[in-house]
Amino acid sequence: MKKTLVAAVAVASLAAVGLAGCSSSGGSSGGKATVTYSDFISNGGNEKNLQTIVDAFEKANPDITVKVTTTDYANYFTKLQTDLSAGTQADVFDVDAGSYATYQSDGVLAPLDGVDSSKYRTSVLDTYKTDGKQYGLPTSFSNVVLFYNKDLFDKAGVSYPTKDWTWADEKAAAEKLTDKAAGVWGDYQPVTYNEYYKAVQQAGGQLLSKDGKKAAFDDEAGKTAADWISGKSGTVMPTAADGAGTADFDTNLFKSGKLAMWHTGIWMFSTLGKLPFGWDVQVEPGDTQKASATFSNAVAVSKDAKNKAAAQKWAEYLSSSKEMVDVRLKAGWELPATSDDALLKPYLTAGDPANRQAVFDSLEKVAVAPQLGANSQKIQDDVTNALGEIAAGRQKTADAVPTTADQVTSLLK
Amino acid sequence: MRKPAGKAVLYLAVIVGALVMIFPFVWTVITSISPGASLTTTPKLIPDNPSLAPYLQLFDRVPFAQVIVNSLIIAVVSTLFQLVTSAMAAYAFARMPFRGRGAIFLLYLATMMIPFQVLIVPLFVEMKSLGLINTYLGAILPTIASAFGVFLLRQAIGTVPYELDQAATLDGAGHFRVFFQIVLPLVRPALATLAVFGFLNTWNSFLWPLIILRDPLMQTLPVALSSLQGQYSTQWDVLMAGSVVSILPMFALYVFAQKYIVQGVAGTGLK
Amino acid sequence: MALSAIRPQTLESGSRPGGSRPARKRPAKRRLAYAATVAVFLLPSLIPLLAFVIGPMISAAWTSLHEWNLIGDMKWVGLDNYRFLVTDPATQQAFLHTVYYIVGYLPLVYVGGLGLALALNSKLKGRAFLRGIYFLPVVTSWVVVALVWRWLLNPSVGVVNYVLSVVGIHGPGWWSDPAWSMPSIILASAWKDLGFVMVILLAGLQTINQDLYEAAEIDGAGWWRRLVSITLPMLSPSTFFVIVLSLINGFQVFDQVYVMTGGGPNNSSRVVVQQVYDLTFRYGQAGMASALSWLLFLVILVVTLVQFYGQKKWVNYA
Repeated sequence: MKKTLVAAVAVASLAAVGLAGCSSSGGSSGGKATVTYSDFISNGGNEKNLQTIVDAFEKANPDITVKVTTTDYANYFTKLQTDLSAGTQADVFDVDAGSYATYQSDGVLAPLDGVDSSKYRTSVLDTYKTDGKQYGLPTSFSNVVLFYNKDLFDKAGVSYPTKDWTWADEKAAAEKLTDKAAGVWGDYQPVTYNEYYKAVQQAGGQLLSKDGKKAAFDDEAGKTAADWISGKSGTVMPTAADGAGTADFDTNLFKSGKLAMWHTGIWMFSTLGKLPFGWDVQVEPGDTQKASATFSNAVAVSKDAKNKAAAQKWAEYLSSSKEMVDVRLKAGWELPATSDDALLKPYLTAGDPANRQAVFDSLEKVAVAPQLGANSQKIQDDVTNALGEIAAGRQKTADAVPTTADQVTSLLK
Repeated sequence: MRKPAGKAVLYLAVIVGALVMIFPFVWTVITSISPGASLTTTPKLIPDNPSLAPYLQLFDRVPFAQVIVNSLIIAVVSTLFQLVTSAMAAYAFARMPFRGRGAIFLLYLATMMIPFQVLIVPLFVEMKSLGLINTYLGAILPTIASAFGVFLLRQAIGTVPYELDQAATLDGAGHFRVFFQIVLPLVRPALATLAVFGFLNTWNSFLWPLIILRDPLMQTLPVALSSLQGQYSTQWDVLMAGSVVSILPMFALYVFAQKYIVQGVAGTGLK
Repeated sequence: MALSAIRPQTLESGSRPGGSRPARKRPAKRRLAYAATVAVFLLPSLIPLLAFVIGPMISAAWTSLHEWNLIGDMKWVGLDNYRFLVTDPATQQAFLHTVYYIVGYLPLVYVGGLGLALALNSKLKGRAFLRGIYFLPVVTSWVVVALVWRWLLNPSVGVVNYVLSVVGIHGPGWWSDPAWSMPSIILASAWKDLGFVMVILLAGLQTINQDLYEAAEIDGAGWWRRLVSITLPMLSPSTFFVIVLSLINGFQVFDQVYVMTGGGPNNSSRVVVQQVYDLTFRYGQAGMASALSWLLFLVILVVTLVQFYGQKKWVNYA
């Protein structure tokens, strides 16, 4: 017993000491510059596609090496914040539209000079511009459209959604398409903050006041929007108790042919794969006006990056090069934010859905994402929570909306 | 003397309980051999077209073999160190009086009383200044001492009768001899228990390896599996295959350790 | 061996192994040698703990006196964070939920684990195999366990409500109902940890001298009497361990809450450590998070101290 214990400890100590040296080497190797890149955009299936882009970049820039670290979205920001805290962040790293403002105001992003803005879609590029300086370059953008199951529409004898549909049309169709006995639902829309701020605009209102200091949704538009989002639960879509809101619930519902209409993002195009029924997309209907939620991901250069020129080169390549566009389109890996519509032509004819033009039509009326300040996450949590309570019938819209508006106002700094 | 009817009821309860216990594992395995399956729909007990494709995909999506090796190295080294450091400290607390012993033991316990979430950032900064970011050592060092282990073994050593220590002392043994030759062999069940739980904790540990290990080739299993959860969708079949692979070594260790945990009374040296 | 022969161990006197002589002034050389020996036994674990846990804890205490979003500079606020937390209703709620969890979880997991350990310690056929089965949930990750339990407790299609309906009870909304979200988490947690308690208590059962049971049987004691008078007292060191550990861990419950309900619905299952995590990584308030952690630490410390002082009354060491 004693002998084995001593032996084991000896082996373990040797192993530990030997392993102290087992780390991957960093830094530059003889004349070459190394750029570290930390991302989440390739996680979940596109790691090889990202590598293709890296290889193409390194071939065109033989004096630069790019080292990639990929993390899943859910844990990415925990890692990024820990890194920033210790000063070990990568030279180039991903941010998204929701998190950009915080990092920019914290002063950890390097301003990017000499960027050719003509290569990017203006509205997406401007999302990452503050005080006239460019701090991020968009790598992809996406928006939310209305997916619909053509077969279910045919069976119920309802005509397909058009670009001119309003909430009233959507509601009427949803009710006709819902057949609870058969387990078929008419219209799924997530009961979350992201749907709400857009719905308020679709109803003609605004989430926040013009100066961004007060909540402005405690009015007719805000209440109508709340009813619109929360009212679907249990009537034309399953309730939270049934599992609505859990991971992949809506995806599975649509894929199994049990959902007629579905509000979700265009990132689903490639995930859905081949479905056994006909389906297409349309611009989301509005109430008094249209407003489509647009999201984007971007790359930023760290203020402390050792070789800013090389880092910026990589950032620009990743966000605007033709090679990147080709890789993305071929792989169905989200939409690059390039302004060159000719380059994007293959996207329009890349297969299901047929009406991919709706993606660009939706850009005509974009729902402005409110600037929520430092308490952004808390505000989003509170709004989502309130909507959930209304949907479950535990609170009334007339009570919940004013209370939540007050909560939000107090959180706006 | 047990009545036969009572025994039958006991058997029934235990078996029903076992079925409840094993159900999630069965569901995991079924999902892992059903390509395209989702864990959020009602489970099917018989997969439609079973195949080992998800397991093959595991090796495709992440450098799986390397990841398992990483996890093994870190967990094994960590557990061995925990056994040694905990046993020694436990002996000191149970058998060696000294001033402030109670306070220091409390200090040990205190290390279990603060949530790790709040220690991560300072610990990470510390590791950076030691130059241990992205190293096995950096992943292992914070785990080589375990207050849990010290506590467990102190309780176990406490049940070893003092008479045995005394007998050895009469033969001229010092603390080291008593520790190695008398006490340690008698707390084998507790040591085996600590080995199992120490290994389990390190094997399943997620947050620290996520932060300290950067290189995809250095990642541990839980971190690699999390990369299967995309921003918008999750590949459940591959994830479940990964979970099954993750559970197996743990389970094997437990079965092996069982022998030591459940020892006959013959080995305790009591009359 | 008569029951009266077993008495609590006093470890105060003597620096030699097994020694029970009253302490006397020893020559300095002896004292130094003894101190060195103690150090050799303690330092291998003490140094890492100091460096990698206590050190960061002190750093967190320093942080708790500031406002900090992890990235920028720290802004000194003194005890403001603590003042805020002590009067904040959300924090009080979080502590309440945590206590609710513990009160429900601890009896369930201990009684269940004890029953299991007793059953699988007796001469049941196939008990080694069964012990393995009961240990499976312990090694399964919470991602899987949470999903399984969400399905089991699904208000409309879940097995639990189905079984209840067969006996005429309309099952509650479980994790979708604010009143039942915490019970759902308690159930799943107790289920998952049964194997852990079983293993600890099994190891403890091994150390009980079988002669005691024989003597009791001769005296005509039934199984309940044997349980209460022999098993439980002799098992008290292991029981003490399980309870102290379960309380320390229970106050810090997080993983299963995060995966099963996310703290909802309507914050009905929000626990303290979830607050800590959100404050640190989602709300940019690392200073407040550190203060909350230290408050939690103090609570756990007091609870643990009470148990250790009560140890002399409740626990038998051989």
